[in-house]
Amino acid sequence: MIKWISSHRRPGDTDARRAVLMSIMIVVQVLCVVFYLGDVALDLKEGEGPSHVSLEAFVAFVLLAGIVFFMIELRRLLARVEQTKLGLQAAQGEMSVVINTFFDRWGLTAAERDVGLLVLKGLDNESIARIRGRAVGTVRAQTASIYAKAAVDGRAQLISVFMEELLAAEGEAEELQTTKL
Amino acid sequence: MSETQFSHRGRTGAHEVQVWDPLVRLVHWVVALCVLINAAISNPEGAFHEYVGYVVLALVLLRLLWGLTGPAFARFTAFPLSSRSALNHLRDMGRGDRSVHLSHNPLGALMVYNLWATLLALCVTGIMMGTVRFFGVEWVEGLHELAFNWLMLSVLLHVAGVFIDQWRTGVALAKAMITGRKNIPEDWSIK
Repeated sequence: MIKWISSHRRPGDTDARRAVLMSIMIVVQVLCVVFYLGDVALDLKEGEGPSHVSLEAFVAFVLLAGIVFFMIELRRLLARVEQTKLGLQAAQGEMSVVINTFFDRWGLTAAERDVGLLVLKGLDNESIARIRGRAVGTVRAQTASIYAKAAVDGRAQLISVFMEELLAAEGEAEELQTTKL
Repeated sequence: MSETQFSHRGRTGAHEVQVWDPLVRLVHWVVALCVLINAAISNPEGAFHEYVGYVVLALVLLRLLWGLTGPAFARFTAFPLSSRSALNHLRDMGRGDRSVHLSHNPLGALMVYNLWATLLALCVTGIMMGTVRFFGVEWVEGLHELAFNWLMLSVLLHVAGVFIDQWRTGVALAKAMITGRKNIPEDWSIK
């Protein structure tokens, strides 16, 4: 598993660290807004002129807009971290990790995970039923449930989900090699 | 022979899942620190108590905004407020159901919404006490006290709930709020 800080730095790590930094920035900026608005409230009590107050309102708006912008950026960054991690794992042969991630995402039960893996290994329902010592009908229901949860229409599409990760990872793997060189 | 090998390999073992993003973790621990400060350390009459209260208010609002815009596990849709699913969860626990919730479990979700509502009530009544209109008004102060007592009870239940669930499922929840990753023990399904 990937450690937070490890000797093998992967491209995704820089982004992950950036996400932490960005979160800290957001929280600090929120604290700044609190302080600033408190100051504005005091000014209002003291009856500052309208030009001063409208300037303060503008500054408050810019600060808040900055926070929202940061939050949207952080969301994008986190999505990219997740995507990069998956792609690299696929490219580096940690396919079981990728499979686990997708199975988690889809919310498969323990039995469905087992069946799902066997489907990915290319077994048909009859063989899976024999291996697991279950009725074919049970396995058929389980595979149907897996396809529904993964929002695919069958075996081929399920496999293509993982193929896509591999294809997408190719570019990133090359990038990794060049950074290592 | 090869068939038993297959069924053995078919298991997906223990693994880790990234669930809590850095913003969720940071807000959690800063709010926890602020609650500790205002409950035990700061002088309730002082200005510092008020500043800490404003910080909590801002952070709760930030977290609520993040619940609408943030990544999947931080969103409200990942842990909807539902008393029925909380009851179902209790029943499943009684049956020894082996499934792990990646975001908050339904009981945990109930606690999360309760904590947010209580913190907001504390902040609002606290601010009201500082205004000319409500200064010294008894029911506002009473509400602030009541919300505080309720918060303390909730915090106790929250911590107890975390440790009970940790013991029940083997998922290190407290650690997950620090590292962001939940460990999923072998053979537990995901919900």
